[in-house]
Amino acid sequence: MTRLSRLMPGLRAYVLLYLVFLYLPVLLIPLFSFNDGTVVAFPITGLTLQWYGQLASEDALLRSLRNSFIVAGATAVFSTMLGLFAARAYVRNRFRGQRWSEGLVMLPLVTPVIIVASAMLTLFMLIGLRPSLATVVLGHTFLTLPFAVAILKSAFEEFDPSLEEAAYDLGETVPGTFRRVTLPIVAPGIVASLLVTFTVSFDEFVLAFFLSGDRPTLPVYIWSQIRFPARLPNTLALGSLLLGFSVLLLILAEYFRRKTRRIAADAKR
Amino acid sequence: MTGRSMIELIGIEKRYHSFQALADLNLTLQEGEFFSLLGPSGCGKTTALRIIAGFLEPTAGIVRIAGQDMQGVPANRRPTNMVFQSYAIFPHLNVGDNVGFGLSRSGLSRRQRKARIEEALAMVALEGFEDRHADALSGGQRQRVALARALVMQPKVLLLDEPLSALDKKLRESMQFELRRLQQSVGINFVMVTHDQYEAMTMSDRIGVMFDGRLAQVDTPTQLYAFPANRKVAAFIGGMNFLPAQLVGEPAGRLEVMVAGLGGLDIARNQGVARHDRELVVGLRPEQLHISRDEPAGFDARAQGTVTDAAFYGETVHYHVEIAGVPEPVVVSVPNHFHTVDFKRGDRVWIAAQGASVIDLGARTDN
Amino acid sequence: MSDNNRTGVLLALPATAYVGLLVAAPLGVLVLYSFWTQTYIDIDRSFTWENYRTAFSDPLVRHLLIRSIWMAGLVTFVTVALAYPIAYFVAFRTRNKTFWLLLITIPFWISYLLRVFAWRVILGFNGLINSTLMSAGLIDEPLDFLLYNEFAVIMTLAHAWAPFAILPIYVSLQRIDRSLLEAASDLGAGRVECFLRVTLPLTIPGIIASSLIIFIPTVGDYVTPALVGGSDGKMVANLIQVYFGAANNWPLGATLSLMSMAAVGMVAVAFVVLLRSAGKAIR
Repeated sequence: MTRLSRLMPGLRAYVLLYLVFLYLPVLLIPLFSFNDGTVVAFPITGLTLQWYGQLASEDALLRSLRNSFIVAGATAVFSTMLGLFAARAYVRNRFRGQRWSEGLVMLPLVTPVIIVASAMLTLFMLIGLRPSLATVVLGHTFLTLPFAVAILKSAFEEFDPSLEEAAYDLGETVPGTFRRVTLPIVAPGIVASLLVTFTVSFDEFVLAFFLSGDRPTLPVYIWSQIRFPARLPNTLALGSLLLGFSVLLLILAEYFRRKTRRIAADAKR
Repeated sequence: MTGRSMIELIGIEKRYHSFQALADLNLTLQEGEFFSLLGPSGCGKTTALRIIAGFLEPTAGIVRIAGQDMQGVPANRRPTNMVFQSYAIFPHLNVGDNVGFGLSRSGLSRRQRKARIEEALAMVALEGFEDRHADALSGGQRQRVALARALVMQPKVLLLDEPLSALDKKLRESMQFELRRLQQSVGINFVMVTHDQYEAMTMSDRIGVMFDGRLAQVDTPTQLYAFPANRKVAAFIGGMNFLPAQLVGEPAGRLEVMVAGLGGLDIARNQGVARHDRELVVGLRPEQLHISRDEPAGFDARAQGTVTDAAFYGETVHYHVEIAGVPEPVVVSVPNHFHTVDFKRGDRVWIAAQGASVIDLGARTDN
Repeated sequence: MSDNNRTGVLLALPATAYVGLLVAAPLGVLVLYSFWTQTYIDIDRSFTWENYRTAFSDPLVRHLLIRSIWMAGLVTFVTVALAYPIAYFVAFRTRNKTFWLLLITIPFWISYLLRVFAWRVILGFNGLINSTLMSAGLIDEPLDFLLYNEFAVIMTLAHAWAPFAILPIYVSLQRIDRSLLEAASDLGAGRVECFLRVTLPLTIPGIIASSLIIFIPTVGDYVTPALVGGSDGKMVANLIQVYFGAANNWPLGATLSLMSMAAVGMVAVAFVVLLRSAGKAIR
């Protein structure tokens, strides 16, 4: 390995450059959240914490934050629930139309959101469903379902099917087997799915922009603020806080995913 | 064995679309039998076991357990319990909760359940392991927990799916005896699936040998070894030399044959095989052949040949001997007793056999 | 439980039905709308091909559609090309892979909108690049060709899609049996030949996966062109949004959505076929 990397000094340098490319924009956001001036441009005039201090009094921002939590929470629960059953079926059962069904469920991942958004808006208006947080949840459940299914599928793939058979063989009913064996073992996968779908929904903009009506979610609110530079530093402060929060969630999700894998590996041994 | 039939499989068939996993399986197991289904992978033995357990519905046929038709009775209500190949120890529960898993619906009090769990763990020599966590168990302990978890349900039949395949060789051998002892002490039927002939032979009262979804032969280990029903069974169980032979005469219950290379022999008639003409195949077990440098006396048949290969196995030595008139080299296995035999490649040797140890395998073209 | 087929259908039904309904019904409605016309605030529900005629004859629509596909293709190519060495590095040259994968994904857990906005700060008139270059004395006045054009859109999207390119390629690299590479070099292949004849063909599925995951949504991207694209970086999604928003002509917007979808579908299929045969040609 070391011999090869000496042969390839260019690769290391390139990786370093790429990491700068990845992190530069992301680090600018916390940086400017401490900037004294309201204009987000160089040079930086001075350091301040005032934007963080003002967050608590920004009503519209806090409202949109609350909306986003509601939407992301509901979305996470719905898509994880739908995904749980589907993933169980895809891994454990062989049924007619399975490939078709699996392909369809993954479809939202490769559909331009603008088309999904415009189509759903058109449909909801036609059937008299007013844009609201509920319509955003409907749309986000659709968008996040592929993530839930993928995560839960791997959770099911990693655990020995004999465990469910053993419970059934020992006299347990089908729902009882699900409750006493399946759920506890895939629980970490469920948590990971909840976290990921929550985060994806929390950050989704285009669908929310089309479907949220007069109750903006956080990204929709940020969108409206990007046009008004005076308000922007607050948004940057919030974004930085959320970055910290998201990284925490990510680390938690990874922790739970690994825990599933460990439990599953034990079960196989 | 009391002679009452415990499991009856009548005309069992299992098809997956065009693939025939099981064809016309008929089998009756007596109460208290240790029975093994033996065969190569994909022969349908596991499918048969899962049909008995209730995990699979047969496409056709009847399953009876203790005289009761099992059609429509799901796995969780059958009087059978299974030890899975992976053992399927619940990773989120400790040993006591694993063993007590199936008792929670039994209506027993907590005290009674605790007593039953202790009893089951004692049966598999795991006293005091109740609080041990599942990932703190060795492979052998996991298997014992799986056994205890199934036996605590007091099933009429215990099903074992390749129970020893996950263990290393030494442990496997000691577990063979332990399983046999356990079966004799609880007195219920054990039905085991295995691809390992030695496992099946050492533990079972009877063995069912399966190929391609069909039962080829059901018999006791000694009968199976002495009178295989066809060449496939003969080749699968133990080593076997196949020699072409010609039928000369049929005195009462016996056959007179001319075996290629060896000459005339009087052998026992095998009831299980078919003959349409005088062309036959006979089988000679490698360990039933005698090998020596000088012409031996007191044997029914002998031939001279050349050693083409010698393989040292430790407890035995195998020689391949080429004999004029015999298509394949004949394999002879000799116990490595005080290192008394030692032939080299190219040595001229005599091999000899008794008629009583030569196996009639029927028509040459049949199988 | 023994009835595998029925259990499977039953469990998969809610999710399948949900996605199916939310694909079929909105698309059906879009198709309906595309045959209707907008008359001020009302919808005229008599059947007409008018929208399609308008869309096909409007040079702006054609221009934007072609540009969206061109841009998406360019973005896909640039993103995958930039990402491949990184995936290769993580798969073959690192020990703690989880650490590297985390390192690569962490930047994407900050709001997408803010990330795009950050690029405006970097590329802008008073942005990071210009102020750095000016204070270093390399230029006298700010460069104005950095922002509000196609270049800015490509940079921003290559950044936004990075993990979607790296992860699938990483997975396919990770799956390669290392002994295959040893076998190739044992058979006399040099490092470059090893890469071209073994590694690269085996990662074609990963390249296809990441390309589709990037290309298809990018054709319909709305935020990036709007924020950093300027007037000549605009794409078809911006026009669709205008019809559904300010211009309030939903039937035409619906027609445009359907047309973009058809175009995306055709290009995607052509791409997969092309890359598969390219993969075979290398071998």
